[in-house]
Amino acid sequence: MPFDMVLRRLLLAVPTLFGVALLVFLLGELSPGDPAAIALGLDYESGGTADPAQLQAMREQMGLNRPVMERFFDWLGGFLSGDLGQSVVNPALSVSEIMLTALPTTLILTFGTMLVAVLVGIPLGLLSAVYRGGIVDYLARIISIAGSATPTFWFALVLMLVFAYLWPIFPLGGALQDYGLAAIILPVMAVAMHPAALITRLTRAGMLDVLSQDFTRTARAKGLNPRVVVFRHGLRNALIPIITVIGFQLGGIMGGTVAVEAVFSLRGLGKVLLDAIYEHDLYVAQTAVLTIATVFIVVNLLVDILYFVIDPRLRTAQTR
Amino acid sequence: MTQQATYSAGPSAVPQADDTLPARRPSSLRRFLERPSNAIFAALALLIVAAAILAPWITPFGYAEIDLLARHQPPSWSHWMGTDQFGRDVLTRVLYGARISLLVGFSSIAIAMVLGTLVGTVAAYVGGIVDDVLMRLIDILMSVPGVVLALAIVAVLEPSLINVIIALSVIRVSQFARVTRGASMVVMKQDYVSAGRVIGMSGSRIISRHILPNIMGPIIVLATVRFGNAILAEATLSFLGVGIQPPEASWGVLIADGYESLFIAPWVSIFPGLALFVTMLAFNMLGDGLRDHFDPSSRTA
Repeated sequence: MPFDMVLRRLLLAVPTLFGVALLVFLLGELSPGDPAAIALGLDYESGGTADPAQLQAMREQMGLNRPVMERFFDWLGGFLSGDLGQSVVNPALSVSEIMLTALPTTLILTFGTMLVAVLVGIPLGLLSAVYRGGIVDYLARIISIAGSATPTFWFALVLMLVFAYLWPIFPLGGALQDYGLAAIILPVMAVAMHPAALITRLTRAGMLDVLSQDFTRTARAKGLNPRVVVFRHGLRNALIPIITVIGFQLGGIMGGTVAVEAVFSLRGLGKVLLDAIYEHDLYVAQTAVLTIATVFIVVNLLVDILYFVIDPRLRTAQTR
Repeated sequence: MTQQATYSAGPSAVPQADDTLPARRPSSLRRFLERPSNAIFAALALLIVAAAILAPWITPFGYAEIDLLARHQPPSWSHWMGTDQFGRDVLTRVLYGARISLLVGFSSIAIAMVLGTLVGTVAAYVGGIVDDVLMRLIDILMSVPGVVLALAIVAVLEPSLINVIIALSVIRVSQFARVTRGASMVVMKQDYVSAGRVIGMSGSRIISRHILPNIMGPIIVLATVRFGNAILAEATLSFLGVGIQPPEASWGVLIADGYESLFIAPWVSIFPGLALFVTMLAFNMLGDGLRDHFDPSSRTA
């Protein structure tokens, strides 16, 4: 394992994260709402009928009259140290607490989706390639074509209608804490549809490509067990582009999660972000976007590392 | 000797690019449509666009025509896709919804394509610090999941048709920039680009005359493949209430409308979703066909 390579990626992630933080913060600055007015429960755009003195006092209290960059570094520091103060709209809750309670749901949804997509996509693509032109191949291709055209949030509604209402084997929605894993099975199925379809396609294409190469033909010709040929020679080589694609799909997965969390009332980071947008809770919204981006960057980093674990060629290329 | 003559006849036709180039275009389209699946999905895509344009002439109802006596009616001969909570004809709303969904899809992809291509080719051509800075910015944009970034942008700008288009363009620029940068790098290594430089062509001229025409293939493929995603992203934003605002109706708005009454009148959400599915299917398949067409080695189907 090339440690320096991992370290390099890790170091590259730092300026990227800083850039994201700055982007999110400046976006918030452009927002027409006045956080002080919102904190006072006033009409968020004009400040309504606020007493100017009261509004000014609130701005003072919230530190809104300090320079932009000072507030930015304060916020970033708070984000990194986990001390972000209280939510403006719900003063009883601390912002860090809101993020930390939502984080597990988002992580479970994200990793669950990746796992399901891989567990469905790879075997299906493998069978499809090995029995090329057969009925399995035909079915797998229809599934993968239809799957990548299915709107995620709409599919979530259909799953909910069928498996939570018409045939109620899963809860209609609700928190992970209340229903356990049953609460995330339908959401994961909904979000996994796209990546599973894509992985099926890529596994099939990759396997067909690898199985027609000289080294597979040699392996077969020297009388190796066909199963060994398919798995050790075929799949291991076909896996590399698949892992790249899982990385690319991560954005889609985390985006899909936002809508699906809303459908199933799961309180993950997506739901937190949406609620904050509805309530004009700027501070929470910004923090939620930055938290989602952090998860996104970290998981991408993990995928990169996985890449090096699986492909020995990359390891030697880097250590040389 | 005779063999020599026939042998040289073939290759000698190739260098005369002036003769072959104009003739290649129609035959290229024709070859593309010769594959039955390409022809079918191209026809389907055209049909969807036509249905959107001709909506007012196809349906006898208005898209906001309320009939409180006909609320939540299941599909029937008079209302093929049933009616919603205000007795509005769902088919009519799906047809009108197609206008907004396709408009947002086309315009956001077109804007992202133009901006992304500009950024990508300039980054590749100028190189150095300009390239570094542009690519770091693209990295930052790509470090936030697209839908999440779009949500944040629309929330800041206030939800409206134009702002949804802006947000969806912004989140796609990065992909176009990366693809055009990569493709431009390859083209720039070609002799004709160096030749252009040697004879003193300006940078913008080299980009527009030599680089752009040679990277159009991947750009068009990306635009087509991403079209389905763009209308899905719009539908997602609108479904969440931060996209197109009612009474305007995109497919996402329609699905959100039906969400309230999903268990009483599932058709209100199901049919706009199916419309979205069919449209994504048509453009995805068209995109795949185009990719195979421009780059037969990537054939996966």
